[in-house]
Amino acid sequence: MTVLRDYAATVTQPTLGGAARYDEVVAPDGSLRPAWKGLAEVAVGITEADLRRVQAEIGRFLSDDGVTYARPGRGHGRWRLDPVPLVIDAAAWAPVEVGLAQRAELLNAILVDLYGDQRLLSEGIVPAAVVFGHGGYTRVVARPEAIDPRPLVLAATDLGRDADGAWRVLGDRAQAPSGIGYAMENRRVISRVMPELYREAGLHRMEPYFWALRSALIQSAQGDLADPRVVVLSPGTHSETAYDQAFVASALGFPLVEGSDLVVRDGWVYLRAPGRLERVDVILRRVDAAWSDPLELRGDSQLGVAGLVEAVRRGRVRVVNGLGAGVLENPGLLPFLPAACEALLGEPLRLDSVPTWWCGDPDSLDHVLDRLDALTVTEIDGRPETLADLSTDDLRARVLAAPYRFVGQERLPLSQSPTWSRGGTRAVPVTLRTFTLRYGSAYRPLVGGMASGWLDATTPTSKDVWVIKASAGDADQGLTGVLPMTASRSVPMTVPRVLEDMFWFGRYAERVEDLLRLVLAAHTLAEDFRTRPRSTGGASLAVLMAAVHRMAGPPPAGLEDGAGAYDADFRSLLLDGGRAGGVAYGLDGLRDALRGVRDQLSPDTWRAFGATDRAVEALEGSRHSHQVAESAGRMLSGILSLQGVTASMIRDPGWHAIGLGRALERALQVCHLLAATTTERRGIDVDREVLNALLVSTESAVTHRRRYRGYVRPAGVLELLLMDAENPRSIAFSLAAAREHLVALPASTGSSRPERLLSDLLDELAAVDVAELVTIGGVERPHLVRFLDVFQVSLERVADAVAEVHFASGPPPRPLGSLGLSLVSEAGS
Amino acid sequence: MRYVIDHATTYGYDDDVTDSLGVAHLVPRALASQTVASADVEVTPAPVDLSHDIDCYGNTATYFQVTQPHRELVVRGRSDVEVTVPAYDETALATPWEQARPLVDPSLPGGWRATDFALPSAAVEHTPEARAYGAESLRPGRPIGAAVTDLMHRIHADFEYDATATTVTSTVAETLRERAGVCQDFAHLTIACLRTHGLAARYVSGYLATEPPPGKERIVGADASHAWVAVWLPGRDGGVDEWLAIDPTNDQWVGDRYVTVAWGRDYGDVPPVKGVIFTEATTSTLDVSVDVEPV
Repeated sequence: MTVLRDYAATVTQPTLGGAARYDEVVAPDGSLRPAWKGLAEVAVGITEADLRRVQAEIGRFLSDDGVTYARPGRGHGRWRLDPVPLVIDAAAWAPVEVGLAQRAELLNAILVDLYGDQRLLSEGIVPAAVVFGHGGYTRVVARPEAIDPRPLVLAATDLGRDADGAWRVLGDRAQAPSGIGYAMENRRVISRVMPELYREAGLHRMEPYFWALRSALIQSAQGDLADPRVVVLSPGTHSETAYDQAFVASALGFPLVEGSDLVVRDGWVYLRAPGRLERVDVILRRVDAAWSDPLELRGDSQLGVAGLVEAVRRGRVRVVNGLGAGVLENPGLLPFLPAACEALLGEPLRLDSVPTWWCGDPDSLDHVLDRLDALTVTEIDGRPETLADLSTDDLRARVLAAPYRFVGQERLPLSQSPTWSRGGTRAVPVTLRTFTLRYGSAYRPLVGGMASGWLDATTPTSKDVWVIKASAGDADQGLTGVLPMTASRSVPMTVPRVLEDMFWFGRYAERVEDLLRLVLAAHTLAEDFRTRPRSTGGASLAVLMAAVHRMAGPPPAGLEDGAGAYDADFRSLLLDGGRAGGVAYGLDGLRDALRGVRDQLSPDTWRAFGATDRAVEALEGSRHSHQVAESAGRMLSGILSLQGVTASMIRDPGWHAIGLGRALERALQVCHLLAATTTERRGIDVDREVLNALLVSTESAVTHRRRYRGYVRPAGVLELLLMDAENPRSIAFSLAAAREHLVALPASTGSSRPERLLSDLLDELAAVDVAELVTIGGVERPHLVRFLDVFQVSLERVADAVAEVHFASGPPPRPLGSLGLSLVSEAGS
Repeated sequence: MRYVIDHATTYGYDDDVTDSLGVAHLVPRALASQTVASADVEVTPAPVDLSHDIDCYGNTATYFQVTQPHRELVVRGRSDVEVTVPAYDETALATPWEQARPLVDPSLPGGWRATDFALPSAAVEHTPEARAYGAESLRPGRPIGAAVTDLMHRIHADFEYDATATTVTSTVAETLRERAGVCQDFAHLTIACLRTHGLAARYVSGYLATEPPPGKERIVGADASHAWVAVWLPGRDGGVDEWLAIDPTNDQWVGDRYVTVAWGRDYGDVPPVKGVIFTEATTSTLDVSVDVEPV
């Protein structure tokens, strides 16, 4: 049996008592819905095993693309995508499309009215408490002079189907709608893992919609700017939808910025480029309005731009969506939309909302209180979950304390769709997020969207949405004449934050690489000598482990003793993100730095983590010692692939910041390694073995053999790793590279402090006499010890100076009077 | 009465401030009972940007930015204002207070606009204690003028004026617990007592001209900014609505010694000066000097 036949057989069985749901795939008589009929030939052949394979491939693609979604307080988790799309045929889609276009136009008109004439309120069409009592109502932009005629550029509306198959609106997202990036990523993945089905479908491609979005944002700029600057304002890499934001930024070719990258001067908004300010004309806002300006909105916000509200009011920057748009995310508005539509557009509302009662109205309040068990009660600006756990009595008391803050909504028997879950396919309820864009003078819905299959009440898995063309010749998205764009990445942006993230990208990548090489060298020794600590090899192993601990810190307490201790230590290095200095920790740091500049980097970047994640999984799933080397090796290949990413980057300041970080880190790591391995005498055999391992882990073994014919002694090794300007692993080489990158950074002057410090270091290195360094005093090489100590400190100082000169973006904003305040005389009487 | 007002707020820092952005509410409002002959706001050091705008409540808001490094910032508002005693419609004052609740009867003339002042706001939370305290004055059927005046008397009698009891961020609950506060606290408390019963009440920021003790010279700069409350009276029989202004701190209706600068839902909407600074400084000083000179 195939999946689809099985599914049809199951869902057409009469069920006892359960609410009848509309099925997205199978009609009540067991035949396929029209949308699926065109796909039947391919779709019917799909077996459970096929889907299992597809699901695994989806996981791999999403991991390679680094697609994440963060739940509040739980860090970034993997994005979930179901293999079975939601398929809608052209005839069924047409009324939805018209309804969505009308709705966006209506929502825009409501915004213009609520922040302007307030006719809806003064004529009683919308009760004032629905608006004034909603947290999204932003009074600082409610000024007659500040009217934005198009406050709504991109709206998202969530739909669900009633039992009769009619789509109903569940809610609107207008504050800073998210998901369009996920929708695009879903399409990319599904089209690759199910190519036959995808080809068969004849559905609307999404790319032209992104071109239209880009063009709409450019056209949002005030006046007739030839080349307006558009940025995407993100709350940062810890935001729930950071991936979506970065995807949109890079798909549109606009830089992803954070509040601290922007500054207001004289009522204009600027990007803080080093040494100059670049004017910003349009901000695609992904920061909630309340956090957008610490001067006039939440004073404790570090995510906003002080003075932004004033710049908006003066019409000097366009914020998309307008700062007041959050008031539309308000279920209290739903009962009043039909009347508002008649009043503002002079036409009947096309898309019905889920039946909703606003408790501020006494009759509606009675209705809701009578049916508390049957309705979902939500606050007009709260999250439904906050009320979910209340008893009926508590809920009643809450509602009665401030009825205007609540609505009751009917629970739709949402339509169902086959969804992969726990190793099989079952019918789960689905909702559909749609997107509507103001393009030119009209609103255009995305022909498609992002669906969610609800595995349980709080666990969604996303689904691609396929809207089938009426005929194969239809223009994608119904858009003709949109200029395609080729940019696959944002224009390079060199604000200090970006340079800093790039610098740490270089440092972490190098640190992880060096540590992995050392772990691999140590593991090889451990395989042979872990049970023979008194042998030469055992002594060498101890030295290498000391080097590992010098770089990555000592093993955490409580690890296994005895022969298993080495593997436990290695595993902790590779897996334990809490072990500061370890590989896992370094990978987290690397990923974090990269997330901040995701829009600036090739999508290939994330393949590195696809590889390291799979290596982690393999290691977690195997207790064999050889898996340590296997996984470390695969992690190393993953990290090395980042070198390929940087190799094909534009040589802009960001690239130089990566190079600088890498070079300084490499020099530091070599210092650590030398200090751990070459400063002490341990007998000829041990020394030789340690030096060999050192050469292997610094990739210098071949060069050394060629140059010194296999005669390993400290002076030769030091020569090669300290002084040899030809050896890319040497400190001399690294510092020369660091200098080249440093002078290319925008804030370098030729005489800046980091340049001076680095130049001193190069001089110092040139003056080194290796013969003197290897001189022995007791068991130690005192000159070498001193030299490495001092050199390390000097390197750290260079890195600090680089941060000070190149990454400082000034102190953060603080509310007046928030400093330790001593009152000289009292205000207020 | 005519007054010339000089209100200077001076911030001092122990390190350079490289960027200051601020919003000030220092320009008095034009009202039936108040004429503003002149008003201006001066910021030192010279701002790169200074502009006036009318906010959603009709107040003049002054936006400014200073970008030259400074260790002292002075924001000074000066105005010349003529004030008369406000007159209220007797029938409006005699209306039972239950008939002045905009959420209960949204069709009252002007009720939709007053709704904004009947809902809780950041500094005026609705607590059962505030509601209980207000209930003693808001007895069934009582005329709104009398009920509100009674509440004012009680707050003046029950609460002690004590500048050390509260801070600028004190809550209504704290004021009720401490039974003490300053004008801002009494205004917030009064508003909470009224709003929890469905009435609309707004926070008014301004000045009260002080009279020197008999036989003493008026001391220049010893006045202070002040805050009081205005309660919504719906328009009767198609008439326009009015706001009855009362001063719980001094137990009197607002008269011709009160200069009205701005109003909002609470202090947070209309602080005389608020701002954001960029600095490495760790401590600052604040000096406020207000002079309300009768002329």
